[in-house]
Amino acid sequence: MMTVCEILTDIQSGKRTAEDVTRACLEKIKELNPKINALVEVWEEDALKQAQAVDAKKARGEKLGALAGVPVAIKDNILYKGHKATCCSKMLENYVAPYNATVVEKLLAADAVIIGRANMDEFAMGSSNQTSVYGPVHNPVDLERVPGGSSGGSAAAVASGMVPAALGTDTGGSVRQPAGFCGVVGMKPGYGRISRYGVIAFASSADQVGVLTHTVADCAKVLEVLSGKDANDSTSLDAPVPEYEKLFTDGLKGVRIGMPKGFLDGLAPAVKEKIEAAAQRLQAKGAELVEVEVPYAKYSAPCYYIITSAEASSNLGRYDGIRYGYAAKDANGLNDYYELSRAPFGLEVKKRIIIGTYALTSERYEECFLKAMKVRELIRQDFKKAFEKVDVILTPTSPTTAFKLGQKEEDPLALYLADLYTCQGNIGGLGGISVPCGKDEQGLPVGVQFYAPILKEEAALNVAYNFEKGL
Amino acid sequence: MEITKKDVELSGKLAKMQVSGQEADIYKEQLEALFKWVAELQAVNTDGVELTQTALAAHLRQDNPVEDPALSRTLISAFNEEKDDCAKVKKVL
Repeated sequence: MMTVCEILTDIQSGKRTAEDVTRACLEKIKELNPKINALVEVWEEDALKQAQAVDAKKARGEKLGALAGVPVAIKDNILYKGHKATCCSKMLENYVAPYNATVVEKLLAADAVIIGRANMDEFAMGSSNQTSVYGPVHNPVDLERVPGGSSGGSAAAVASGMVPAALGTDTGGSVRQPAGFCGVVGMKPGYGRISRYGVIAFASSADQVGVLTHTVADCAKVLEVLSGKDANDSTSLDAPVPEYEKLFTDGLKGVRIGMPKGFLDGLAPAVKEKIEAAAQRLQAKGAELVEVEVPYAKYSAPCYYIITSAEASSNLGRYDGIRYGYAAKDANGLNDYYELSRAPFGLEVKKRIIIGTYALTSERYEECFLKAMKVRELIRQDFKKAFEKVDVILTPTSPTTAFKLGQKEEDPLALYLADLYTCQGNIGGLGGISVPCGKDEQGLPVGVQFYAPILKEEAALNVAYNFEKGL
Repeated sequence: MEITKKDVELSGKLAKMQVSGQEADIYKEQLEALFKWVAELQAVNTDGVELTQTALAAHLRQDNPVEDPALSRTLISAFNEEKDDCAKVKKVL
């Protein structure tokens, strides 16, 4: 299993070429992807050309980019010019990106090698990667279990060693929750840290691009490349991007870590045990544990499902057979044309659009949508107050470990609760990182999550780095 | 919050999606469970809570027209049909 940092060192020192590294990843993909289904398309020829270009650049003595020769998979909702981006939906099965997402431009400018597109829940709606038109992703730790979602392909590709890094997107935990289930590092920065230009929208007030890697240092390297203001995304924040690794400290003396009151209630016993042990480990490294109150955070999940579904019902209106998506052939009149053209949406996507449409009807607007928006404001204030007392907040990443494929399909509410601890970050706009903190009695990974305020990702990264060190 | 099959069908219609009778039955059951959970929000006192709003102008970028014939061609060719260097779409009016 190669890390980003090892690859960079090896390529710089001449121990391996970028082509060697890419070929090794392609071999691993050929060996494992048929079982795991993490990648839905591999751009072998393009990837090898990019790797060879990095080697040629090095041979000419030119300065290499920050991710030179590092193979990266991108989630299937991120545009890469001339390549398919389908959101793992039949609706976009033939869509070819006409331009690059800003994150793709940044990866290419950093000399990374884009190796393929990763499986995901259809339109990023799901927490188990079972709604993809390409079929489910299998968790590399136990092939009968889900990898989490919606960036399940990205997490599984990293966990299985197919790639050292992958991009995902996170609207309610879709980077961090699969990272937790697969035993890798996954970070969603605060809202606005990374441009979403060229990322297919699900819920615009919550969507963020995130990073999945093996280590925290790897995550910091990729995050640094992707972050920053982008004129093409008006919600991206105009603030300097720190050199994250330079801010890592040796130990956590003086760092205050918030432990939200009541957050450990209702957890699976093995998860609770690991989270308590994680807190003790941080204390042993010098951190001060402080109890904080975020009383409204328990309402994050219902707020999340109303607000994001409402936004999805608007964002997905563009798939009408005219602007984007499948175009019906034999329609009888305009309404028929719209309805037939929108038929390829899967069951979960249709359901979310219906939820959102219902919540926005004049009869339900105040009671559902406006209420959820107001409670969201209270949740934001909760976290703002808590961060006056602490530097980061610790929570579990998920209430359970990875469940079996098909196990919760009949009970969508149970699936929605898998996002309980992660959707708080999207509702509050916070940065959050999930780091492996042990395994349960069945050998399944458990993740611990650290939250930091917007533009303070370095605080969460530093705690995660110190936590990981020596594990 | 009671959800009827009619609510589901109407929402489907508003969203311009076909919802079969069988789908409406499944969605009705699932939406009922979801909105029962959402109803917990009613217990929260939100009197006087103002939504955070940012002036739109603060988020707008300069609108500089860009001429990029290659991109125009790529975009037009992404459509199923084209005519006179324009994308041809279904007549909507």
